[in-house]
Amino acid sequence: MVTMSPRDRILAAAAKQPVDKLPFGARIDVWYNYHSGHGTLPEKYQGWNMVDILRDQGAGAQVRHLRIWRVEYDNLELVKHEDPPYTTTEWRTPVGTVTQKTVFTPEEGPWIVYEIDHPFKSEKDYPAIEHILENTRLVPDLDEYAEKERIMGEQGIIVTGMDLYSPMQQVMRYWLGYEQYFYELYDHPARVERLYELESALAQRKLEIIGDSPIPMPVICGNWSDEFHTPVFKKYFAPWLKEASDYLHARGKLTQVHIDGEMRRLVPFFPDTGVDVGEAWSPAPLTSITTAELRAAWGDRVTIWGGIPAVLFEPAQYSDAEFDDYVRNLFKEVAPGANFIVGMGDNLPFDGDIERVGRVAELIDRYAKLPIQI
Amino acid sequence: MVEISAIQQAVIEGDDAATVALVREAVDQGISPGDIINSGLQAGLIVVGNKFSSGEFFIPEMLLAARAVSRSLEVLKPLLSDTDSVTVGRVVLGTVAGDIHDIGKNLVGMLLTGAGFEVIDLGTDVPAARFVAAIEEHHPDILGLSALLTTTMPSMEAAVAALADAGLRQQVKVVVGGAPVTPHFAERIGADGYGADGGMAIELCRRLVGKGA
Repeated sequence: MVTMSPRDRILAAAAKQPVDKLPFGARIDVWYNYHSGHGTLPEKYQGWNMVDILRDQGAGAQVRHLRIWRVEYDNLELVKHEDPPYTTTEWRTPVGTVTQKTVFTPEEGPWIVYEIDHPFKSEKDYPAIEHILENTRLVPDLDEYAEKERIMGEQGIIVTGMDLYSPMQQVMRYWLGYEQYFYELYDHPARVERLYELESALAQRKLEIIGDSPIPMPVICGNWSDEFHTPVFKKYFAPWLKEASDYLHARGKLTQVHIDGEMRRLVPFFPDTGVDVGEAWSPAPLTSITTAELRAAWGDRVTIWGGIPAVLFEPAQYSDAEFDDYVRNLFKEVAPGANFIVGMGDNLPFDGDIERVGRVAELIDRYAKLPIQI
Repeated sequence: MVEISAIQQAVIEGDDAATVALVREAVDQGISPGDIINSGLQAGLIVVGNKFSSGEFFIPEMLLAARAVSRSLEVLKPLLSDTDSVTVGRVVLGTVAGDIHDIGKNLVGMLLTGAGFEVIDLGTDVPAARFVAAIEEHHPDILGLSALLTTTMPSMEAAVAALADAGLRQQVKVVVGGAPVTPHFAERIGADGYGADGGMAIELCRRLVGKGA
């Protein structure tokens, strides 16, 4: 077999194609952002970027990018009040004003803002949110993505796509927030459905931009937990994931979803969605399912990316020997090894050991050439 | 004539308007607030909790049931006599220092309130000293610590240590939860319990105050 690059292996495993050894796509932005912000990167890595650090560790890489478009609005005024690290955004529309406060503290690890509150505060906010969605334009803007791809090269892939969420997840997570969402779905289902319709129209535009882009494997949704999402997953999420995957497959793309939550009761939905990869797989002890159980449930229909819970990388919690045992057992669970990409669920923690990322690469070279016979 | 079982059923269905209406009707008929709470509202919540544990119900059903009970308690509280028991226990809750995530904490707070606990929510990014001060001020049965980030899990350990330093550790049970938290971690920092989700958190707290099954 011709020597494969880390990127080749990740994409081949995602496409259910053969690989020479288990692919490894490590994610370290929490660790990297924290230590960059605090000036505590290991001396050797001062001034390095994430891709170069992972290359030095012998690991394949994944790096996040939020979106490949600009969001512009018609017929409303957008006002931002900056009070670092907080930002308050006001959408002033002819039918009302909604506000949202966010915080962004990358020096503590996050790569995106966190919502302190949500634009929806009460039923009176529906007209303004509908107006915003009806007057949103998405303008392709791939420059930053292209630069990240240039830096990444063959070391891995840039993970980007639907700027995080599918349409109903956007309504739930961004506009209303979980608690309000479930109350409103009970109290005012037609109004929530209307937001879903409007987000679905925007989602179609996002898919068109993604379909025309060079992104090989867009992420199309994620951040689920079965105790929240199961009641609405079958009705809203699974059908959309199927539509999106069909659309993107027809344009030569693979699709992935981010599965770092408790997935037990959501697992059965995925094989029929056409989604190619479940990324950020976080098995026990972080969730209740083992990798072997997920492999049995998904068979060769969905490639799994992940398998090493973040806490395993923390020397304070797991010894080197325990770490090695866990990773070697993971290889046994996925043997003979097709349709699996090693990664962390979902990130290297700030107090994780970067050398353990390199250790995973060593263990793959020693024990996880395919077919795995450990 | 309102049957207490109808109140219980309205809670199970998460119908807050129906629950409140039935509670008002029951009060008008002279049923004691204590009976309404214990045989109607709390009994409904226990059924909901059991259905959650068995996998039949999910967090949304629990939220709706908790809302129905909370709104009903607002109707009943002014009518309670000294002998009526409405509070299962008192919980001080907060997301630990450095962490501003509140979804999980808020859900647990709402579910605890619905389950009859008095909840004092200290909010997010709570330093250990504020937890200590809250224990001294409110004398809770339970302190609940939440964290979403691995970066802030050490703040849980710091909070537990601060309680010990202040001589308060034996006065309160400490429970922890949040996405990166594991039973292993909870045990290591000396917490009294760990809840993987909202349902487990309620069961755990009920057990710790001697009300569990």
